[in-house]
Amino acid sequence: MAQQQPLSSTVQPTDVYGGDEVSALVLDPGYYNTRAGFAGEDVPRQVIPSFYGHIEGRDLFGDEVIIPRAGYEVRNYMNRDSVVEDWDAATKAWEHVLVRRLQPERQTPPSKNGLNDETDGDVVMDDGAGAEMEERPLSENPLLMTEAPWNSAKAREKAIEVVMENWACPAFWLSRTPVLASFAAGKATALVVDVGGANTSVTAVHDGMMLKRSVQKSPAGGLWLSGQIRSMWETNEPKVDIVPSFMVENKKPVEAGAPADYRPKKFDFPITDSFRLFEEERVLTEFKESVVEVWRGPAKFTESQQYIANQPGRVFEMPNGSNQMWKEQRYKVSEGMWDESAAFPPPTAPGLDIPSLAKNQTIPALIKACLDGVDVDLKPNLLGNVVVTGSTSLLNGFNDRLNNELQAAYPGVRIKIHAAGLTSERRFGAWIGGSILASLGTFHQMWISRKEYEENGPGIVEKRCK
Amino acid sequence: MTSADVREVLNLNQPSGPRPKKQKVAAPRQSLKGLAREVQALGGDNPIAIVPEITSFRKKRFGSRKPAARWELRPFQNSARGDNGALVLRHWRQKKDAMAPPGDDLMDGVQMETDGKLGDGENKKEVLEDSSFAKYNVKIPVPQYDDDQYNNNLQNDDWSKEETDYLMETVRDFDLRWPLIWDRYEFVPEIPDGPDGGEALSVAVMPAPKPRTMEDLKQRYYEVAAKMMAVQKPAQYMTRPEFELYETMLQFNAAKETQRKRFVANTLARTREEAREEESLLMELKRILARNQTFNEERRDLYRRLDFPPTNAEEDLNAYKSSAGLANLLQNLMNSEKSKKRKSLAAGPDGPGPTPTSVSHPGPSGVHQSSEGPGHRRESIAASTHGGHGHHRDSITSATPATPAEPTPAPGGADKKKKGGATAAERRKLTEQEEQVYGVTYGDRLGGGPTFRYEKINKLYSHKSNQQQKRITNLLTELDIPPRLAMPTAKVVEEFERLWGALTALVDLRKVNEKLDNEIMVEEVKKAERDRAKGIVPAEEEQEKAADDGQNGETGEAGAEGDPPSVVIKNEEGDQVPEQTGEVNGEKEKRPSSSGGHKRSASVLSAGSDKSNKRQKK
Repeated sequence: MAQQQPLSSTVQPTDVYGGDEVSALVLDPGYYNTRAGFAGEDVPRQVIPSFYGHIEGRDLFGDEVIIPRAGYEVRNYMNRDSVVEDWDAATKAWEHVLVRRLQPERQTPPSKNGLNDETDGDVVMDDGAGAEMEERPLSENPLLMTEAPWNSAKAREKAIEVVMENWACPAFWLSRTPVLASFAAGKATALVVDVGGANTSVTAVHDGMMLKRSVQKSPAGGLWLSGQIRSMWETNEPKVDIVPSFMVENKKPVEAGAPADYRPKKFDFPITDSFRLFEEERVLTEFKESVVEVWRGPAKFTESQQYIANQPGRVFEMPNGSNQMWKEQRYKVSEGMWDESAAFPPPTAPGLDIPSLAKNQTIPALIKACLDGVDVDLKPNLLGNVVVTGSTSLLNGFNDRLNNELQAAYPGVRIKIHAAGLTSERRFGAWIGGSILASLGTFHQMWISRKEYEENGPGIVEKRCK
Repeated sequence: MTSADVREVLNLNQPSGPRPKKQKVAAPRQSLKGLAREVQALGGDNPIAIVPEITSFRKKRFGSRKPAARWELRPFQNSARGDNGALVLRHWRQKKDAMAPPGDDLMDGVQMETDGKLGDGENKKEVLEDSSFAKYNVKIPVPQYDDDQYNNNLQNDDWSKEETDYLMETVRDFDLRWPLIWDRYEFVPEIPDGPDGGEALSVAVMPAPKPRTMEDLKQRYYEVAAKMMAVQKPAQYMTRPEFELYETMLQFNAAKETQRKRFVANTLARTREEAREEESLLMELKRILARNQTFNEERRDLYRRLDFPPTNAEEDLNAYKSSAGLANLLQNLMNSEKSKKRKSLAAGPDGPGPTPTSVSHPGPSGVHQSSEGPGHRRESIAASTHGGHGHHRDSITSATPATPAEPTPAPGGADKKKKGGATAAERRKLTEQEEQVYGVTYGDRLGGGPTFRYEKINKLYSHKSNQQQKRITNLLTELDIPPRLAMPTAKVVEEFERLWGALTALVDLRKVNEKLDNEIMVEEVKKAERDRAKGIVPAEEEQEKAADDGQNGETGEAGAEGDPPSVVIKNEEGDQVPEQTGEVNGEKEKRPSSSGGHKRSASVLSAGSDKSNKRQKK
């Protein structure tokens, strides 16, 4: 019976997809999350926030450590452009996710586990093997990292330096997120619309390479949408206060529209603004996930108010128990992505710093600008391979709206939108593409090896990762 | 119990056919052992239905398994990297010597651990296996040039050498993917180091990098590539695909390409209404084209009908409907063929000598012949008119399908024939040059089986008499030509045949010449005799002919034997006199008809000369 099993362990997996695992790691840092995992898998093993806690000169990483504490600040090592800003923190964050979280726990060497301590206080000899392990934690794992298409040459060189100097990776590669997203969709040529946390970017990918002149980005991403929601709540008839969950001790159910009835939690230390903003963002994310919808078209949003007002609304309960039915507003908040004139003015709360969109920063304008930057022969092919990725693209109706907008803008061209159905595939599109790429047998010749790095210095990344 | 048994019991009619046999249940015979087998054997042919009990539940099943496959983390390199295996990656592969004897698993496990630690150094020493994906690394060839070649061939006002180098490098980097090349093309000309080296100055002087369109880049690249291709291999030596590539690259037209792109851009910029309108127009166009095609088809059909060879079929058909008429037709055709043959013989420029078969007619006459023949697909190999038997057959085959007045001209058949004619006509379209190119020749009708070309020459020899053969061989040796050609290529044989013709003509002429000399001698002897007799009878010009007749009688006493040969001589002479003059004008034309006479005259002449000799003796 054992022989009749579909794939016995004695049979080598067939190379139908050209894979050849070399236990590579894939790291995909973004503004909201940092994704990491093993190449060849379909989802990242570890997803930690790119936000980290800073307290008394120490940096703490991971979702579980972001808790209210005295003097606890929440920072982000990435900036709003999805480019690494704080390299020290980035190094620590990456080490945390790659070494602590992805590598197996190692036994404490016997000399240090306290069992062999002798009372006469001899100087313990340093165990060579253990130290080597500490120094060379990733010596067997090539690392593939992603970057934003507009990443600067300096930042790229810094990235390879960090990886090569700190964890002794045998090989390294830096790849652009749109390219990887198109790989994840199974396409080598695609128009990638990436609506992410802090940015929306539209990039043309030709034959597995990004077209630099086509890169377009705007802040019309998740953060901007949160700002829209804040503005909407500020201007709402009963003004909606954002009370994050951590501030609620307990709550009582109330009627829709009635003021909240809850007991706030008392902290005997001041909560930092950054921590509060981070927690508020969680509430906003929930609102986006459950309520916000995109007006699908093809009729214009402004001309369909009547119809929209008749659409069923959705109820959202805030962490403090107040709840309300959201009807046409849930369309209105996202309309600014498509039509800058329909957007709310950006919120005025301190520390938010969310810009308003210009006319050329809406998604249709980005796509048009992107296509204007490529050769005219490519346009039909690109429009036939539109890949939508990024978590903010998971808004209800986003793809329908995009399709309608494109058809209106390019009649007579066949438009096909490829958007992964699985939420995780849309959220981690770039990571999955990286996972595919790094596990391909034909990719082995691409890696920048340690030797090349040592011979040429960090400048090699500019030469090789084009 | 089968249905047949039931029928038997109920006394019903037996159904015809054999009784259906009991189907044997093909149960696999378990190989049992010991007591179980004895019990089974009791049943004999009808096995007892005992379900064997499986006594071993789990233990056995696992026990029957093969030993676990061993896998190892095996290092490998990738030769496509081109770094001499500097990067060694490791992947899981099944261990090659995995067939370790079962039982000492534990030992193996221990050994493996030690292997993992100690064997590292050993592995390094031996050659690492190459990645199976290295073979997919394909590089495109990009034209290379050195400074000299650049200066000689590739100078361009618009492109500096630096920029051309940069272009070539970019092309190599992006494997000829033009959108990428254009996208990443950022040529920054180097700041020329002036003697002053003043920064402000150099910045001011620095030319702004030209924005290059994709067409500019392509134009330059194709220019360079085509020129370098031609430098490395002149165009006339290129293979066909190479030359096609060369042509394509040479013919790249940037202006045209730009225009095309503008059109494409316009197409993309259409509004929805325009797009719809264009679509409907395209549909219309397609319909019109389809209609046009059917119309053309019909018209062509009509033309075909009109184009039917002009026949007065009605009358002819009636004539040939009977078998007698058919025989008549055959006779007519053969006659016409014969006359044709004769004509060609007469027309043949070189058919001298007494032999009926001589040098074959090369090209022109054959072609003429075939083109004269009626539209027939075998024309191309239609035989020239030599060799009676072959010709005869051919003439018949060529004649029969050509008759438009065939007794059964079914419309379909006629159609087919027309097609045959059409293809023949197409075939005839080959120009002389093309014929040369394709090696099409219209030669003799080929015999069955392969032949050597020199055999053709042997045939020429064998048709000659021994004497002539000897003479020709002598002539050839005079000319330093071996009688058997060393390299009988088609051309050589052709030349040789021409030479042969000339030689035979020469031999014939010599013969004639000799004969004439002889005759002159004979005549002179006669004249001398006559002069002797003239002492009595005065010779007169007018009387000579009459005297010829009278000579028989008069010289009765002179001619002691009174032999008829002398009469023959006289007759011969009569023939000969006008012929001599004719030969002066154009001996070739006259020769065939006179050839028979020559032969006879020659033998008679010898007899005559014998006689004259005798007379002289007397």
